[in-house]
Amino acid sequence: MAGIRDTVGKDKSRLPHVSRRAMLVGATAAGGLALAWSIWPRDYQPNLTAAPDEHIFNAFLKIGDDGHISAIVPQCEMGQGVTTLLPQIMADELGADWRTIAVETAPISPLYTNTLLVDADSTTFTPRTGVPDFVSDVRSWARREWAVRNAVMLTANGSSVQMFEEPCRAAAAQARVLLMMAAARRWDANWEDCDTQDGFVTFGAKKLRFAEVAAAAALLEPPAEPVYRSNSADPLYGKELTRLDLPAKIDGSANYAGDIRLPDMVFAAIRQGPLGATRLKSLDRKAGMQSPGLLHIVQHERWLATVARNWWAANRALDRFAPVFETAGTPVSSDGIDKALKAALKEDAYRIVSEGDVADAMEGRTKIAAEYAVAPALHAPIETRTATAALDGERVRVWVATQAPAQCCAAIARATGLPESMVTLFPMMAGGSFDACLDHSVAVQAAIIARQVRRPVQLAWSRAEEIMRDLPRAPARARMTATLNAAGGIDALVARIAVPSTNHEFRDRLFDNTPADVAQRAAAGKADAAAVEGAANIYAIPHVAVDHCPADIGLPTGRWRGNADSYTAFFTECFIDEMAARGGTDALSYRMAMLGKAPLLARCLLTATSLGGWEGGLSGTTQGLACHSMRGSHIALMATARQSDKGLQVEQLVAVVDAGRLVNPAIARQQIEGGLIFGLAAAVGATTDYEGGVATARKLGQLGLPRLSQCPQILVEFIDSDRDPGALGEIGVPVVAPAIANAMFAATGRRIRRIPLSGHPV
Amino acid sequence: MTRFSVNDRPVEYRMEPETPLLWALRDASNLTGTKYGCGTGECGACTVDIDGEAIRSCMVTIAECEGRFVTTIEGLARDRSHPVQQAWVAEQVPQCGFCQSGMIMAAAALLRTNSNPSDAEIDAAMTNICRCGTYLRIRTAIRLAGRVIRGEERIAAAPPPGIRPADAARAVPALRPARRN
Repeated sequence: MAGIRDTVGKDKSRLPHVSRRAMLVGATAAGGLALAWSIWPRDYQPNLTAAPDEHIFNAFLKIGDDGHISAIVPQCEMGQGVTTLLPQIMADELGADWRTIAVETAPISPLYTNTLLVDADSTTFTPRTGVPDFVSDVRSWARREWAVRNAVMLTANGSSVQMFEEPCRAAAAQARVLLMMAAARRWDANWEDCDTQDGFVTFGAKKLRFAEVAAAAALLEPPAEPVYRSNSADPLYGKELTRLDLPAKIDGSANYAGDIRLPDMVFAAIRQGPLGATRLKSLDRKAGMQSPGLLHIVQHERWLATVARNWWAANRALDRFAPVFETAGTPVSSDGIDKALKAALKEDAYRIVSEGDVADAMEGRTKIAAEYAVAPALHAPIETRTATAALDGERVRVWVATQAPAQCCAAIARATGLPESMVTLFPMMAGGSFDACLDHSVAVQAAIIARQVRRPVQLAWSRAEEIMRDLPRAPARARMTATLNAAGGIDALVARIAVPSTNHEFRDRLFDNTPADVAQRAAAGKADAAAVEGAANIYAIPHVAVDHCPADIGLPTGRWRGNADSYTAFFTECFIDEMAARGGTDALSYRMAMLGKAPLLARCLLTATSLGGWEGGLSGTTQGLACHSMRGSHIALMATARQSDKGLQVEQLVAVVDAGRLVNPAIARQQIEGGLIFGLAAAVGATTDYEGGVATARKLGQLGLPRLSQCPQILVEFIDSDRDPGALGEIGVPVVAPAIANAMFAATGRRIRRIPLSGHPV
Repeated sequence: MTRFSVNDRPVEYRMEPETPLLWALRDASNLTGTKYGCGTGECGACTVDIDGEAIRSCMVTIAECEGRFVTTIEGLARDRSHPVQQAWVAEQVPQCGFCQSGMIMAAAALLRTNSNPSDAEIDAAMTNICRCGTYLRIRTAIRLAGRVIRGEERIAAAPPPGIRPADAARAVPALRPARRN
């Protein structure tokens, strides 16, 4: 295993040279680069494996004697294009020919920890108010160290490029220097005088393929600091390269967890009963055992699985067993959820954001208030939770899509009693996810079943299980209160938001393997700053307060594409619109007057309204606006919508986005389009009621998801920018519902304060 | 009886006759390109071509397929050369990709009988659900594939599978032809 080592950045105290990249993108980017470099874990060796004719350069790159370059991607591909984006960054820095790039999923290693996400998490989780900076710094350092030790390789928050651009670039720079050093030895030249282009090392008129020097290069010692490629006539960065995963996604050969086929493999279906403290009480064994094709059953304290030669036979057998479940405590219901949210709104809250002095500013002034409510949002990916598991001696091997592979392994180990070293995970592409793959139940269940039946097994949840056992994005309720200044502008704003403490639940489930109902109970009443994220981040309002009223709704909740911003943007952007309408002010100029401190967002808003042909938002028009900033990106959306005999008709969405520099504009466009349509689905459906502890929806068709015929015209424009990349995956989601609601107000004069928008007014 | 053709090959499934075609394809024939998404005919991820018609394979039993000709995504073309597949890559349609086999099969069946469908005809034929939001690109890609089928345009967006290393090395200078021992 020659060449396996991590020689990058051994010296903690030193920072990299000013690079071409830093020159290119300016001083802030240089700061970012230094930070990324200094936090890259250094006390770990890459744990990659290589074919005999492949050479490992570092944790991110291998080069073969034939010239293929394997880019290692430590993130879950769930459609966001990360298996193209990170390789594109590496190929650009390396000077590679794009046609030689292959992709491999990273093994579990602390080298791939998503420290950015852990940092972002630590600052949003606990209110910063009252915490001295040094205490906060120590806490985030400790969290980061903990995350690295536990190899927290999360894929979430659209952070893939933000987190891994610099490590990928540094890894490619290192490999490039090694290739140049090896070539220079052959030419008896200085490596500093060499360059790379299209998969060749060049020195004047001399050229050598990477393939020809890879073996020698991988054995050399690189300089302690990365040396970046100074220029390229034809950079790959910023090009609309075709996604590498597309060929396999048009001929059916792309493999998801359910496409694994192993010798002697059997198929399992499962029934898990209501959410909550549920246990399997009884089943009709006599009727069930007669099911055609049934091979085994596996009974667990909380579920029943059937195993057959095909999945349909296994699933049908479940009906015949007619399992009965027993749930302790009050069963979850939509009524109960609404009551809990309303009650929480009246009780003491945690003040998460406080600027100016709202109490003083509101004293003796006329307060204007409105209440909004948002239903739970389901993930509803087309792929239901699926995992394949097989035994290898006493070891267990699991194929599954996961956004947190190390934690998935730990969960399997804990449930099976095996040490983690006995669990092998094969991370698969996800068929959607939208953060559903942060839950590892299916992987754990598959491992348990495989160990019982002693043969390879593939477990897929039925669509009904997928709906009933989904941990939805939390429902929320808000009371927005404002006082206005003489000009009708907002002087003080209080957003009281009743919502469960989802992120505490999520952490307990992910890191401690706490059952969902137990985690839900434990989180009740805790302050969760991330649960109200995005409530007050853009407008220059002198006095602002955001309160989290923790609601104990009994329903376990989870992370979801857009997270808290998906409801906080609805509350804020609708309420702003109400204030504008109240004074008869144009919703555009009303917003612009308060965007003095947010020039990037203001530019998006002006561009969107100019592209979309904003008519002033007067009543009788059908146009509505919303804008939002999150995770380094900004978006403005102009929606055109009307009420027709077929119900709510969304005709057009015009979005303008500033997400900094774009690695691949074509993929960025896909992400925004996709986010908008995901937001549209959530605005009109993607939800369920709950009754007696279970979701009332059982079929996909009951979720009101839009189809092609309901899809509005969509126009997406990006603002040219040299800023560091912002996140793209979620930014499209939060603005859709408020823009449509505001358009509906303009069209009908009726203010919709509830999501889904097609529901009844609050 | 459960004898019929799958991708131009005669097959007899020794399974319960009421087994939905989807599970015979996936679990007996290992044709895993056809996906399970709902089992109730709503998502369309399991769409296959039966005698020229786009059919949700979760909704027909293998008994009902007796004597018919079933084509799955694996049988649409041997080398990704079908105009719909090429157009799908040219327009960068897929994101997660899970629903795309069904989408492509539905689009191919539509274009077989109508190579120049109107918006309304596309809407009526493409009732599959995609959660990544590829809908608008699907519309554009169907139009492009229609132009290719009508001979108005040519595209070469996706490479065929199984390119031999020697051929790849001829086209890409950075690759080194395999050494002969």
